Amino acid sequence: MDTINRSILPVLLLIASVVLWGCQSQSNSKEEGNKKVILGKLELYDGWARPGAKGQNSAGYLIISNGTASVDTLLSVNSDVAETCEIHESYQNDDGTVSMRPAGRQVIADGNDLTLTPGGKHIMLMKLKRELAVGDSVMISLTFSNVGQKSLKLPVKVQN
Amino acid sequence: MTTASRSLVLTLTVAFSLFLTSCDSPKTIYDLSDTSYMLRDTDSTRVNFPADFSDNISIITFIYTNCPDVCPVITANMSNIQKQLEDTSGINFIEISFDPQRDTPSVLKKYKNLYNLNDQFTMLTGRSSAIRELLDKVKIVAEKVYPDSAAQDSSNYTMRHSNYIFLMDGENRIRAKYPASVVPPENVIEDIQTLRD
Repeated sequence: MDTINRSILPVLLLIASVVLWGCQSQSNSKEEGNKKVILGKLELYDGWARPGAKGQNSAGYLIISNGTASVDTLLSVNSDVAETCEIHESYQNDDGTVSMRPAGRQVIADGNDLTLTPGGKHIMLMKLKRELAVGDSVMISLTFSNVGQKSLKLPVKVQN
Repeated sequence: MTTASRSLVLTLTVAFSLFLTSCDSPKTIYDLSDTSYMLRDTDSTRVNFPADFSDNISIITFIYTNCPDVCPVITANMSNIQKQLEDTSGINFIEISFDPQRDTPSVLKKYKNLYNLNDQFTMLTGRSSAIRELLDKVKIVAEKVYPDSAAQDSSNYTMRHSNYIFLMDGENRIRAKYPASVVPPENVIEDIQTLRD
C-alpha cells in the first residue's frame, strides 16, 4: 500500500463510522417537532400544569408516546401535590355548554400517542395540598399496565 | 342630469352608505342598560354591574375557579385579546363567577394573581340570587354536576356551563357573543374596532 492510500484509509474509516452511526440513530428514534419518539420505549414529554390555589383543582397536560410494540394502558396517576389525581375530559354538549367527566383508563396502541391537552383529556389534580404558582413544578407519577411506573416533572405555567 | 336628479342620487348614496354601516355594526343581543346587579370585586367592594362600566367597551365572560381546564382556557383567551389589542384604553375585561358558593372575593383575588391578570381585569362574584338573575338575563347556563359518590349538598361538584365571551358597548348593550374558549382574538378585536368607529 503506498503512502497516499495509507493516509486516505483512516479518513474513509471515519466517514464510514459516521454514516453507520447516523443510520443506527435513525433506526432507534425519530424526531417530530419537539417530540422525540424512542422506538421500543414509552416516553412522556411536553408536560406542564396550571396554577391553582391550595384546596382547589389544577390540571396537568403532556404527551405520552408509546413507541413499544405492545398496547399499553395508563392505569393511574399520582402526585404529592394533590389529594386525588384522575384522567378527566372536557366535552361539549349538544346545547353548546361544556362539561367535564372522568375518562377512566387510557389505552394507548403501540406506535400511538395519547395527548392530554387543554379543552380535552387532562390530568385533574384535585384538592391541591399546596398552592401552585407560575415557576413551581409538579412531580407526577403515571402507572402503566406494561411498562410500570414513569415519572415526569411538570413546570407550572399560564397558557398563552 | 338635472339638479333634482343629482340630489336624488346623492340622497340615495348617503342612505345606502348608512345602511351598509348599520349592517357592519353588531346588533344588540341583550340590553342591560336598564338593569342593575349588585356584585362584589376581589376587594369585596360593591360593584353596580353594568352601570359602573358604562361609557367604556367591556369584554365579559363567565367562569368558575374550581374549573381546571376550560375556564383557564377562556381566561387565557381574554388575556390574549388584551395582549393583541394595540390600544386597550377604554376597555374593561370582566370575568364573572357563576359559582358564588365557592368563589368568594378572596378566592377570585387568588385566581387573578395566579393567572397574572392586571388591573384592567375585574373579577366579580355576588349573592347567589343576584348572580342567578344576571345569568338568566344573558342566558348563561351554569348547573352543578355532582359525582355519583357525592351528596347533593356537598361542595364537591363540577359545573356544566355556557362558553361565551360577550362584547358590551358603552351604553351597556351586549352587541356580540363568541365561543369563549376557541374564538380567535382578532375576531373580537375587529368588532371592538367597529364599536369604536
